[in-house]
Amino acid sequence: MNPLDLLYGAGGAWLAAALAGLLAGSRRPGLLTCCALSALGGAAALAGGGWSLIYGNTPVVTPGGAAQTITGGPLQLQMTSLAGVFVTLLGIVAVAIAWYAPRYHEPGHGTAVYLAVYNLALFACLAVLAAGGMVTFLVAWETMSLACYLLILRHPRSDASARGAFWFLALSEIGFLLVVVAFVILSTKTHATGLDAMAARAHLVNGGWRAAAFLLALAGFGFKAGLVPLHVWLPEAHPVVPADGSAFLSGLVVKLGVYGIALFAFRLDPVGGAWPGLVTMGAGAFTAAIGILYAMGERDIKRFLAYSTIENAGIIVTAFGAAMIFHAYRQPQLYAFLLIAGLYHVANHGCYKTLLFLEAGVVEHAAGTRDMDRLGGLVHRLPRSAVVTFVGTLGIAALPPLNGFVSEWLIFQGLFQGFRTGSHLIAILIVLAAATLGLTGGLAIYAFVRGFGIPYLGMPRTRQSAAAREEGQPIGGPALLAVACVALAVGAPVVLAALSRAGRTVTGVSLGRLLLPGELTVIPAHADFSAFSPTYLAVFLGAACAVPTLIYLAGRPRAGSTSVPVWDGGMVRFRPRMQYSAMTFSAPTRVTFDALYRPAVSVRRASDDPAGRSGPVHYEAQVTPVFERYLYRPVIRAVEWLADAIRPLQSGDVNLYLLYVFAMILLAYLVGAL
Amino acid sequence: MPLWFARGLRRGVVTTRYPARPDGSAVALPTPPAFRPLLLTREIVDRMIAQCPGTALSRAADTLVFDAGSCTACGRCARVAPHAVTPSGEFELAATTRSALIKMVPILGERR
Amino acid sequence: MTPGPDEATTAERLRAQIAAQFGRSLHIRTLDTGSCAVCEQEIRLLSAPHYDLHRLGFFFTPAPRHADLLLVAGPMVRAFEVAARKAYEAMPGPKVVVATGACALGGVYQADPFMHGEVEAVLPVDVWIPGCPPSPLALLHGLSVAVGRLAEKVPGLAFVADENGGGA
Repeated sequence: MNPLDLLYGAGGAWLAAALAGLLAGSRRPGLLTCCALSALGGAAALAGGGWSLIYGNTPVVTPGGAAQTITGGPLQLQMTSLAGVFVTLLGIVAVAIAWYAPRYHEPGHGTAVYLAVYNLALFACLAVLAAGGMVTFLVAWETMSLACYLLILRHPRSDASARGAFWFLALSEIGFLLVVVAFVILSTKTHATGLDAMAARAHLVNGGWRAAAFLLALAGFGFKAGLVPLHVWLPEAHPVVPADGSAFLSGLVVKLGVYGIALFAFRLDPVGGAWPGLVTMGAGAFTAAIGILYAMGERDIKRFLAYSTIENAGIIVTAFGAAMIFHAYRQPQLYAFLLIAGLYHVANHGCYKTLLFLEAGVVEHAAGTRDMDRLGGLVHRLPRSAVVTFVGTLGIAALPPLNGFVSEWLIFQGLFQGFRTGSHLIAILIVLAAATLGLTGGLAIYAFVRGFGIPYLGMPRTRQSAAAREEGQPIGGPALLAVACVALAVGAPVVLAALSRAGRTVTGVSLGRLLLPGELTVIPAHADFSAFSPTYLAVFLGAACAVPTLIYLAGRPRAGSTSVPVWDGGMVRFRPRMQYSAMTFSAPTRVTFDALYRPAVSVRRASDDPAGRSGPVHYEAQVTPVFERYLYRPVIRAVEWLADAIRPLQSGDVNLYLLYVFAMILLAYLVGAL
Repeated sequence: MPLWFARGLRRGVVTTRYPARPDGSAVALPTPPAFRPLLLTREIVDRMIAQCPGTALSRAADTLVFDAGSCTACGRCARVAPHAVTPSGEFELAATTRSALIKMVPILGERR
Repeated sequence: MTPGPDEATTAERLRAQIAAQFGRSLHIRTLDTGSCAVCEQEIRLLSAPHYDLHRLGFFFTPAPRHADLLLVAGPMVRAFEVAARKAYEAMPGPKVVVATGACALGGVYQADPFMHGEVEAVLPVDVWIPGCPPSPLALLHGLSVAVGRLAEKVPGLAFVADENGGGA
């Protein structure tokens, strides 16, 4: 009995859910059955993933024997500890979304197909993570991409939907191509298709090919993970998917890209020398900074969260890159430590990002809009959702005592020990990456104060927002994730113990007391650097909040007190338009980073009167889409030019086509004869 | 720095000690009028009322009703009847009731 | 004086309460309800080195929430009424309202569609300080009366001159 058996159960449950959804999803009982099966699968995946963290790598299983599948290679399954983290995340995300979906979706034909495809996507993700061989991995990866494409295409008649789905598919396919080439390089050089076998024979591949394979994998998986400038599908695709689909995409699918990078970096292709780690770390740091900077300029909650996902993916990849550098400089403890810290951030981000996307869906259904500048005052109208969103916001802004703080602290502590590499240049570069992450962290707090404060606090800016109601909105799934966030924070020692077992399986380095010296304290791989106890911090912060409460309860005036409105400067009527809007709140950042945003500003006045007394002033500022314009558009234009150049070949003339066939046969004979 | 200190010591402290000690500049303040009842006649009082730009002066039968709260110390009533009106020199006029500021001055001049 | 939640009822207890509460330090919020701004200038002069209200423990504060005393000048134009009420209500008890200047005491303008003419029409005034404008010395005297450090003089004045001049 090993974790893989539990995952068979999970996969079976998800296939059954897909079938149930397809056949019966148009009615509420069928919808509920589908979601229940999905949750069951999620629970099984959670259990299996968690178990595999401590179990270690299962042996490779080849169900169906060595028989070739239709794709030309045997089906090979294996559950590794590295994948176990991601499977655990998959499990909890699936359970949360399954709990959320019944109240979110209206039963109907579209929902039926959507849920069937979603469960198929879950199954495909599981297959990617449980893949033991190259062919299985690639087939499952492509299935997952196509299933996600169909998810994004929930409303096929909408232009934005089609556009977002197309961006996703196009970039997914380009990434897949690069990944295939990377895998093929490794596979031909090591003469194996099983991942374990490829890992064992990695030393047979010479330096140049290994470097090429790694870079191709970094780029190919980077498309899925959202590394800048390969990220452009994220802000296009997320707004058009239903909320649970966005949650799935951000919470899990992006993590699969990260898993792919980790697979190549730590298992299949650990390239000697520091430069791959430097490239990865640099790409990650750059992604993190760019991600959060673009997030500051977004009014649509989902686009904002999409850019935040890019930022967090960057943080994780930075941690992995630094781990690779430490490995190259013979610092095995820090290598294992940063890998563990990165995996911890994967789990944390999966939890709170999924939560935030699900809550964005609740807001969209309750208030009818996703535009922050049309919301406001939701804390009074959606109180339970506000509390849950607040927990998620605290997590993602990396504020103590929640889980985001713990994992980012760990990553920072690992980066700060760059001096242990012994090389000044490397140490400086690692510090630069840490500084970039510091900037990112500060901007993230600013961004999420805006992201929570503008929609939830203050006065409602529109009538729709004032009319939002909590009844009938899903709360169970997000609440479960909020509990998970708190548990991941307070139970950090337990989580780290499990992750360090996983880390030992991947890296061969056992941190043991160098990570957890006992008594709920965590140290960053070296006892002489720093120490921190997430559990005690949580308890202390709780107690610190209790002190002013007790003082108030003991010392407040015994007689009654009057309640008067907030002092607003004596204004006759405080109108919602007098509040901060989302764009004015982020204006300082947009002004500071003007060179990045390059806004195209247009100002139109009704008259020349500078005070606008003769009519309104129309101000419009648009962030220039730098990557689309300067990177993708030239490539797209080049492809179109190439297609135009080749078009004469397809003249429609049958005789010309016969000539082609003849020429090809001739060429084949010649090549075969040589 | 020492120069400033020395100059300050020579000149002394500028801050007033009021209300603990009287302030010398108070004598130059414009203040509400004080009346001489023996020199007031109804005619003079009516002329004063006509000249007062506010509502400080009014007459009720043989009493001049002087509202010290409304007085702006403009001095017009003193110009009308310089022998009957003189500056009171009082500037500490704060009151905890509004009625304490309304004074009744009898009109005791010869012509009644 | 508008009492705070637990407040004495007799006059002596009230005076003792005022002295105890505000005797050491008083925070003043000024309000200009449509005056010519000369009263404001005299009030501002209180912060200057010559008059220096800080040595008496008085401080200006812009936030009504932190204020103990509301110093109102101006004839209370109707457009300001809402703001004046909001400022008064925003002050926590115990609080004192002081009206300064002839305008605020009703001596200059009559009630008409644009103004009330006196502060008492809108806010419950505790101390009146006449003058146009009241000199900083008069203001210091009035503030000291408001906190109970000095007794008021004006009830004992008759504004009747004897042969030497001066009010008696």
